[in-house]
Amino acid sequence: MEIQRQFREELNSRLRVLSIGVSALLALVAGAFWYVQMVQGSHFRELAENNRLRRLSIRAPRGPIYDRDGELMVENTPSYHLLMDRSRSADVDASLAFAAHLLGRPLEELRANLERARRQPDYQPVPVARNLTLAEVAEISALSLEHPELEIDVGHLRLYRHGAQTAHVLGYLGEVNERELSADDGGPPYRPGDLVGKKGIERIYDGVLRGHDGERAVVVDSRGRLVQEYGRVDAEPGATLTLTLDLGLQQAAERLMRDRVGAIVALDPRDGAVLAMVSSPSYDPNQFARGIRPAEWQALLDDPNDPLQNRAIQNVFSPGSVFKMVMATAGLAEGVITPRDRVYCNGSTTIYNHRFRCWKGIGHGSVDLQRAMSQSCNVYFYHLGKNLGIERIERWARAFGFGEPTGIELGNEKAGLVPSPAWSLRVRGHPWFPGETISVSIGQGALAATPLQVARTMAAVANGGHLVTPHLVQGAAPRPVRDLPVDPGILALVRQALAGVVEPGGTAYYAAHLDGVRWGGKTGTVQVVSGQPGETDEDRPWELRNHAWFASFAPLEDPQLAVVVFNEHGGAGSSGAAPIARDLYRYWFDRQDRERTATEAAQQVASVAAP
Amino acid sequence: MSGAFQFADEGPAIRNLSGIDWSLLAATLLLALAGLATVHSASAEMPVDYLPRQALWVGLGLAVMAGMALVHHRTILDLAFPAYLGGLALLAAVLVIGTVRGGARSWLGIGGLGLQPSELAKLTTALWLATYLADVNRRHAGAKEIFTAGAIVAAPMALIALQPDLGSAAMFVPLLGGMLLVAGVRWRVVVAGAVAVLVLGAGLWFFGLQDYQRQRVHTFLNPSSDPLGAGYQVQQSKIAVGSGGLAGKGYQQGTQSQLRFLPARHTDFVFAVLAEEWGYLGTLAALGLYAVWIVNALRIGLRARERESVLLIAGLVSLFAFHVVYNTAMVVGLVPITGIPLPFLSYGGSFTLLNFGITGLILGIDARRYVNA
Repeated sequence: MEIQRQFREELNSRLRVLSIGVSALLALVAGAFWYVQMVQGSHFRELAENNRLRRLSIRAPRGPIYDRDGELMVENTPSYHLLMDRSRSADVDASLAFAAHLLGRPLEELRANLERARRQPDYQPVPVARNLTLAEVAEISALSLEHPELEIDVGHLRLYRHGAQTAHVLGYLGEVNERELSADDGGPPYRPGDLVGKKGIERIYDGVLRGHDGERAVVVDSRGRLVQEYGRVDAEPGATLTLTLDLGLQQAAERLMRDRVGAIVALDPRDGAVLAMVSSPSYDPNQFARGIRPAEWQALLDDPNDPLQNRAIQNVFSPGSVFKMVMATAGLAEGVITPRDRVYCNGSTTIYNHRFRCWKGIGHGSVDLQRAMSQSCNVYFYHLGKNLGIERIERWARAFGFGEPTGIELGNEKAGLVPSPAWSLRVRGHPWFPGETISVSIGQGALAATPLQVARTMAAVANGGHLVTPHLVQGAAPRPVRDLPVDPGILALVRQALAGVVEPGGTAYYAAHLDGVRWGGKTGTVQVVSGQPGETDEDRPWELRNHAWFASFAPLEDPQLAVVVFNEHGGAGSSGAAPIARDLYRYWFDRQDRERTATEAAQQVASVAAP
Repeated sequence: MSGAFQFADEGPAIRNLSGIDWSLLAATLLLALAGLATVHSASAEMPVDYLPRQALWVGLGLAVMAGMALVHHRTILDLAFPAYLGGLALLAAVLVIGTVRGGARSWLGIGGLGLQPSELAKLTTALWLATYLADVNRRHAGAKEIFTAGAIVAAPMALIALQPDLGSAAMFVPLLGGMLLVAGVRWRVVVAGAVAVLVLGAGLWFFGLQDYQRQRVHTFLNPSSDPLGAGYQVQQSKIAVGSGGLAGKGYQQGTQSQLRFLPARHTDFVFAVLAEEWGYLGTLAALGLYAVWIVNALRIGLRARERESVLLIAGLVSLFAFHVVYNTAMVVGLVPITGIPLPFLSYGGSFTLLNFGITGLILGIDARRYVNA
């Protein structure tokens, strides 16, 4: 139908309106694109980057730990943890509740785990539950479409094969805390959920054992599914550590200290290698590895005997008569005594207007160094101490390593205390009482040492005057050795005197003699309370009984082992500590005999077999 | 004038090519080419490459375009009423024998190819509507004509809404609106109509929408409230578009599109792929081509000789323009998501054929403007 002229104009004006209107709308859209692409472009570019590239860590397996004979002590087993990527969760609380329900764990526990990493960026997956069962892993993996925020992280569960037996040496792992996260120890940075050594070897050698986590840069789609691997840096497993520990000896020592409170340290006196270090009571580090439960943690904290403490390096006590070997060495080296000098003991002596008693009320009679040592005569050493004076005692005590940490690679080691007039003025604010010198002469007074310090001293006596650095890891940098200013002959004399302790007439002969081996040692007894007349140590309740020390070495010629036993409230050193050391040597020498017999048998078989 | 069948009063279909509107044709071809390229890029990480299929549809579309241009529009308009009825019949048939895709029974399988009768119905309805309104040869269309026009459009809309495919059904509104506007409805009626559409929309919102549809509008208003749910598409689309910046990431380099973050990226969100890979420059170029298409098509209306042709062009261009504006506005996050494809760029058979058909029809009208009837 042809358009009538009078309508043409109206039609065209309407068409122009339509044209202008649509053009205006297109311009509006172009403006919107300008805003999104030009103004907000960089913002969306960033979002697009986050969308596609993700960095997934490859956990480096922590290095295994072996004993000196290659016996595996710490290994890893696969473990699975639940991570949450909060940026993928529409409702974090709902996701947490879902995970808690699925795992049958308390919601608060998961929430607390999440809380710990709250400062981490949202897109950084954070662990909310540890050590999932394989069934739980399967269940969560099957739900990955509905719950893209839940991820499984494959980790390594630390397995301490011998649990409580090696706990204080090996230490344990714990989840990295906020402070450690922000700390820069030069190594690769920690991430939330990382496990770090909290105690013992695990802590000191964390940087070595930890290895370097690898990383995979992957391209993922919107559901977090992996599309393509972009780049990969493989994990470097942590280094293997071989300890100086002798697992068999360690276990024997642990058995001996079971149900006792105290510590055993066994050193190789020649180089300071720690062959055994036991602190009792102990704990199971595997509890920490799999995530300690609050109740278990509370039980450890509530235990009055503090199982977490390593008594070998963290408890200081008066060394008691064990200190007499330092006194004897000092006296001989300073020329204050000779081996033939005699002192008459009638049960006590009066020095500085004060009566000092010997432990033996009726006295030892006339004693030389040999007898004074084997019978642990206090009066002899009172006089020696008086003649040496506190300054020389202090100097010799320090020379033998008292008053300073031994430097063992465990950390949190106590220094102990060597008292002196200067110390008295500085710390106590009053002058030194001369009578204190007499107390220090028999290892009492303010003098305090750890079992490891005593073992180090014992080693120095045994090895002819070399103050070695006790250590646990083989093959590390050479440890400092300090030579004592003492003639080896003097120390040979002291060792002879110590041998008398476990030989007929010695304080420890009946309780702790060892057939077939000549060895030496020194008992020590530390009073907890002053005894009432007529009251014996056994009459008192356990916590008021004396502490028992025994420092020893074997064999007498060419010492290979130095053992120190400290038995809290174990009574006298001769009965409460020496037999424990004796049993440990028995294990050691019996094993050597068995090995020798086996070797000889093998050689015989070999020689018979040979034509 | 003897023997051979011929259109007695219509003369040669197109006397010479000088009558062709080259700008419109060029815009069409360029958009179709851009569509092929973008669909290919968008389907790179998909199980199938949609390029060959879309190329087939473009090929068929070119044939349809040529056919629609070569057949005299007079002939086509003469068949408007039977075509309209045929369209309604197909819409009714698809409700019975159609196949369900994407939750709606809107497909008719023909050979290996699926066709959507709703796209065809847009054209047939436009034809009959233009024919009807052209008869109202007065300065302003009255109430009776407006209601009749509404009824003509309501029938296919209702059938399409039953599939249910509300998005496609809604496309008849701009078709009707554009045609009525040009048909000479009084301005106050235009305003009243606009208000009515808004009120109707609100009523639909409160009473007629399914929950998922309401949710879509909700998340449109606040996309970050539910980044993995319904707001996800909006958010991902905006990330794709925005991260394109000025110059884009390069062809097939769009990480959003290549890495499957973008849903429906070869169909409804294909423009986001283009915007990400070609940047704002690409966006402007594409929008410019659409502007060229729309403005030139309307200019053809200015010089078209028959009232039916003018109205037909007004309705079809309104439909086309609404698709373009709504789809791009949706991609950039201005309006809620509905399944409205983008002419020539979105993958899709029936819709591609429809747009080529519309173009051919309009080109044919223009080419014959000097021919005496």
